[in-house]
Amino acid sequence: MFGHRKNQAERQLIAGRVCSLLEIPQGQKFRILEIKGGPGLHRRLLSLGFHRGDLVALDGEALLGGPILVKNLNSDTRIALGRGIARKILVEPVDDNER
Amino acid sequence: MNDRVPVVVFIGQPNCGKSTLFNAIAGFRAQTSNFPGTTVCHAHSEVVWKEKVYSIVDLPGTYSLIPQEPQEKVALTHIFQEKPDLIVNVIDASLLCRSLELTVELLELEYPMVVVLNMMDLAEKKGMKIEAEALEKKLGVPVIKTVATRGQGTRDLMDWVERVLAERRMPRHLRYSGEVESRIKQLTEILPSDFPVIANPRFTAIRAIEAEMLAVDNFFLENNPEFKRGLDRIRREISALREAPAYEVLAAERHHLALKIFEDCCRVSHARVSGLEKLDNFIMHPVLGLFLLLLIFAGMFYLIFRVGSPLEAWLLKPWEALRLGIQERFEQNLLAGLLVGLVQGVGGGVAIVFPYFIPLLLMMGFLEDIGYLARAGFLMDAFMHRLGLHGKSVPLFILGFGCNVPAIMATRILESRRDRIITALLIPFIPCAARTTIILALVAFLLGPWWALGFYLLNLVVVAVLSSILTRIFKYSSPGLILEIPSLKWPSLKNILQKTYLNLKEFVRFAWPILIAGSVLLSLLSYLNFDRLVNTVLSPFVSGMLGLPPGLGLTLVFGFLRKELSLLMMFQALGVGYEQLLSVISRAQLLTFVTFVNFFIPCLSTLAILWKELGRRIALVSVGLNLSVAVLVSWLVRLAFAIF
Ligand SMILES: Nc1nc2c(ncn2[C@@H]2O[C@H](COP(=O)(O)OP(=O)(O)OP(=O)(O)O)[C@@H](O)[C@H]2O)c(=O)[nH]1
Ligand SMILES: [Mg+2]
Repeated sequence: MFGHRKNQAERQLIAGRVCSLLEIPQGQKFRILEIKGGPGLHRRLLSLGFHRGDLVALDGEALLGGPILVKNLNSDTRIALGRGIARKILVEPVDDNER
Repeated sequence: MNDRVPVVVFIGQPNCGKSTLFNAIAGFRAQTSNFPGTTVCHAHSEVVWKEKVYSIVDLPGTYSLIPQEPQEKVALTHIFQEKPDLIVNVIDASLLCRSLELTVELLELEYPMVVVLNMMDLAEKKGMKIEAEALEKKLGVPVIKTVATRGQGTRDLMDWVERVLAERRMPRHLRYSGEVESRIKQLTEILPSDFPVIANPRFTAIRAIEAEMLAVDNFFLENNPEFKRGLDRIRREISALREAPAYEVLAAERHHLALKIFEDCCRVSHARVSGLEKLDNFIMHPVLGLFLLLLIFAGMFYLIFRVGSPLEAWLLKPWEALRLGIQERFEQNLLAGLLVGLVQGVGGGVAIVFPYFIPLLLMMGFLEDIGYLARAGFLMDAFMHRLGLHGKSVPLFILGFGCNVPAIMATRILESRRDRIITALLIPFIPCAARTTIILALVAFLLGPWWALGFYLLNLVVVAVLSSILTRIFKYSSPGLILEIPSLKWPSLKNILQKTYLNLKEFVRFAWPILIAGSVLLSLLSYLNFDRLVNTVLSPFVSGMLGLPPGLGLTLVFGFLRKELSLLMMFQALGVGYEQLLSVISRAQLLTFVTFVNFFIPCLSTLAILWKELGRRIALVSVGLNLSVAVLVSWLVRLAFAIF
């Protein structure tokens, strides 16, 4: 009970911290909130199994403004995304205990 | 009964093992590799199972039934237009949850279907317990577990194929939530009678709601204003239900169905981190990964040289002896000339090509199967952006080191036509196995490995410079990288050997006869003194500009067929054996010659595939580009030697 309430409070605290995939630290869990950019990109990500509400984590970065490696924790797949695309995907942090 | 051969298509998401399964059933004939997008056009084969014939089709992978890449369109044309008798939906069991989204979509077609859970070994390693019976019940189609690399479960699969075809069992689609389902139903009711129906009205309606562009043209919509208004209204209503575009709402419906099935049928116990995952962290490390990339290619080069070079020397001996023997025995007559040509053609294949060709194929096979190609694309993306392309071209260039032809076919995985053209124009500059052979057999063997390595680097620099020039001409910002990185997989030795064998067979069947015929033809031409004519015509260029012996003119003409041919003919044209080459021409001449042969005109098969894939204009541009680069760079090499 108590833990649940704490969760709620914490979530409200971090609810404002919406950022793009480019700005997140490695290893932490995030939830996809929105995919900006045209329907083309949106459709492509959908078919690759990246939906709104999915949990993702940053798994790696290439040098010199190269792509980032994003892991989808729901489907256990990984995709490399160029930075321009990663910038268009908005996420919010998620508590570690959540699945 | 019906004696038409039933068509069975393998369809599934990229890299789920369709081609491997196809090979296990139909005999080894399709290329496989641990890279999403290996198969770019369909392969089919007739298979006899229990005295019945089936036509089995291996299709390119597709993530969903809404095509986005050219090779996905190939897959869809096949199932929409040439209605198959049975769909075999291959699933990578270790990615069950995501793969089920395509399965849900396929069920909507309501064609006879079976589901294959492939890669069960990997799923088990991940701690997944999949209950096939439960899955069968949910999906309403048979579910078969397989491990394609070991051929496990293929008999089971064929038995089910037979049964489902005999029973003509049609599956039922799964239902979306009521509010969405009712809108779809409304649209099916107002579908005009002449609307092209795919599979069934419900599927057609879903497709119409989701599609960016309808399969019918604007003219049709203008003539059916009522339908158009209905469609717009239904899209708006669906969109309002979830505050998302209609296509996303439908995708989310399928996603939830898939998720529900996954949760009901699969339990995941916690898996431990495997050795491969640790290796993966190293491979994908931003700094170490790049070092490793360099190390891998340098190491590959070194190993091939270490294996190939002593083998070459050893294999050359008997053929050399035979050639000298013939020349001693016979006087200068036609028969002797032809025999020498024959010996050089056959011997050249055995002694020069095989020692380098086979190790290169084996190592490429290993890199492909472990899953390195996509990773190299990831690591090199930033670098490729500086050259105006993106990382997805890297695996294609790496494929090009094996042979340019499949690499050019594989450019279909690039979404934009501009990227496709530039990559396809650049691939002929990548030294394929045949050219690597020339570089190693001539440069490394005669001048030493460092020269060969330098030559390779020069080659890569030329590709880089060309790329940045080309991308400046075709200006357009290339779309960002989206590339699935498949999990690393331990390659199976059997698979690598089979792949190597398949490529070798191609070489023996197509390239070697050309080598032999070319060699013999050269003997004939020189006997008829025809070579003098060609050499004289070409001499202002060959000796004037490049400073080479005029006798090499004709060999260049033949190099168009196969690049190795120029190399073999060089000895023939200069009338010397292998080891004495440097007594006739200088180091500078040798390098100038190799440079020119390396770059000039893509070989016949490369040109043919360029023509077929991208059209005559691009093929001609490619010829022009290659010729000019060859002339320029080899002239520069000559100049460099003259100065230093
Ligand atoms: N461990 C394991 N590996 C497999 C199995 N089936 C296929 N593979 C490997 O998975 C990789 C992909 O196999 P392919 O047959 O090329 O996949 P595909 O579905 O044809 O892929 P695309 O043509 O790109 O759509 C290859 O490296 C295979 O060796 C399996 O059952 N177990
Ligand atoms: Mg394939």
